[in-house]
Amino acid sequence: MLKRPEFITRVLLVLTVIGLPALILGYQFVLRPHLNSTRTIEISASTPENGGFQPASFTVEAGETLTLRFTSMDVTHGVAIGPGLGIDLGSIDPGHIKEVTLTFDHAGTYTFYCNTWCSINHWRMRGVIEVRDSLNPNAFPANQVDPVIAALAADGVDIDATTHNGSMNMDTTAMLPGRPSALRGAAIAVNLVIPTELQDQAWRRSHTPMQGIALLLSYNANASQTDLADAVAYLWVVEGSAETRTTTAQFYAQNCASCHGETGGGDGFMAAQTTETPVAFSDPNYLFGMRGDVLYAKIRRGGMGTDMPNFGTLITPEETWALVDYLWTLSLETDERTTGEG
Amino acid sequence: MMRRLLPKRGVLATMFAMLLIAVWFIQLPASAASTAHTLTLDMRQFEFTPGRFEVQQGDTVTILLTASDVVHGFYLDGYGIEQRVEPGISQQISFTADQAGKFRYRCAVSCGTLHPFMIGELVVNTNFPFWRALAMLGVSLIGSLVYLSFGAKQS
Repeated sequence: MLKRPEFITRVLLVLTVIGLPALILGYQFVLRPHLNSTRTIEISASTPENGGFQPASFTVEAGETLTLRFTSMDVTHGVAIGPGLGIDLGSIDPGHIKEVTLTFDHAGTYTFYCNTWCSINHWRMRGVIEVRDSLNPNAFPANQVDPVIAALAADGVDIDATTHNGSMNMDTTAMLPGRPSALRGAAIAVNLVIPTELQDQAWRRSHTPMQGIALLLSYNANASQTDLADAVAYLWVVEGSAETRTTTAQFYAQNCASCHGETGGGDGFMAAQTTETPVAFSDPNYLFGMRGDVLYAKIRRGGMGTDMPNFGTLITPEETWALVDYLWTLSLETDERTTGEG
Repeated sequence: MMRRLLPKRGVLATMFAMLLIAVWFIQLPASAASTAHTLTLDMRQFEFTPGRFEVQQGDTVTILLTASDVVHGFYLDGYGIEQRVEPGISQQISFTADQAGKFRYRCAVSCGTLHPFMIGELVVNTNFPFWRALAMLGVSLIGSLVYLSFGAKQS
């Protein structure tokens, strides 16, 4: 038979050792999620060789309000969620927390990805959010074929070819003695006969600027090569708002510059470590031999063994086109890079 | 007594003249008029390149900061300059090196295990004309010796 003080001591001991942790854990994992209407998912970010995002995939319900809390475990990471959500949490320093509360309206697959260079495997650092709609289980969209890439495949265009000028028999180096200027081109274009093809966005996207120069030459036989190149440069970059260009320039700096270089010189700090040397957008002789839809396809599909990652699951087709529009400006005269037409 | 400690008068006179010439010809530090320095400072785990650079006091320094693997920061002790640098997005800072001394620059964003050891050194050389002052000291020293030797002769 226990004495009374001894009995009380034992009860207190059991309460402290078992009751206190049970209380705290119970609050954290049972009571708090129950009281909170929004589900919170904690995601820790490490470099891909140390595990990447954890968890790297989860399933949520369409219409469910969700809070995502990101923290970094080693170096500074960045988090953006796409495609089409426009969520960029910016960089997350080790030990800091950034969170976002969001609701997915429709079933589908979304990707959260690191957008600050964090390791040589940085581009592998992605996570998947699968949004299900339990009321309409069939609403989950099937993998959609990108119409632009499908059209290229149907036409037998080799996305990986280094030039797309086709059968044009031209001395391209003579065509482009230096960097074209869209600013000069805007003034020159007024005095030229512009064929309807060149005014058609769809035509421009499926032809190289070099082909544009050849076409323009056939209508304006007396114009100089430099003038034609400038006019074509103007026609190729004329679209897009300044705001889109600023957003796209930032996207380029965060996601492309590490390999392709800040100004498109193909000389980013990671350029020496990729399987294939990143192309230089600042070289007009390369870029003016590329088709817009091929650049689009390359960005969305990735480089297939070149270490160029695919961005098709991260950004929308519209954002990809904006990026292609931005790439043209990198081959122009230095001061026109971000402003495009000026 | 005193005379025996001193070198011959001719030797003294020669040294005196040479030092005077030295004082006259030793240049003041070249950058008494401030110069502008422009350099690129690259940061990677866990080093700065260059890890040390020298300027003269009063110079204007413009640094293009680049990060070559992860996000780093540049913090300059003494001057209190801080700049965060993301890879692929270079940043430019400029300041006037108005304080002389050695100043550490260190990484300001936790960048990995050896982050605390990622440091570099900025040396701001003073414009004080050290060698000229030394020569002048020599002139006055010999001068006083000569004076003393005259005194010894008279007594």
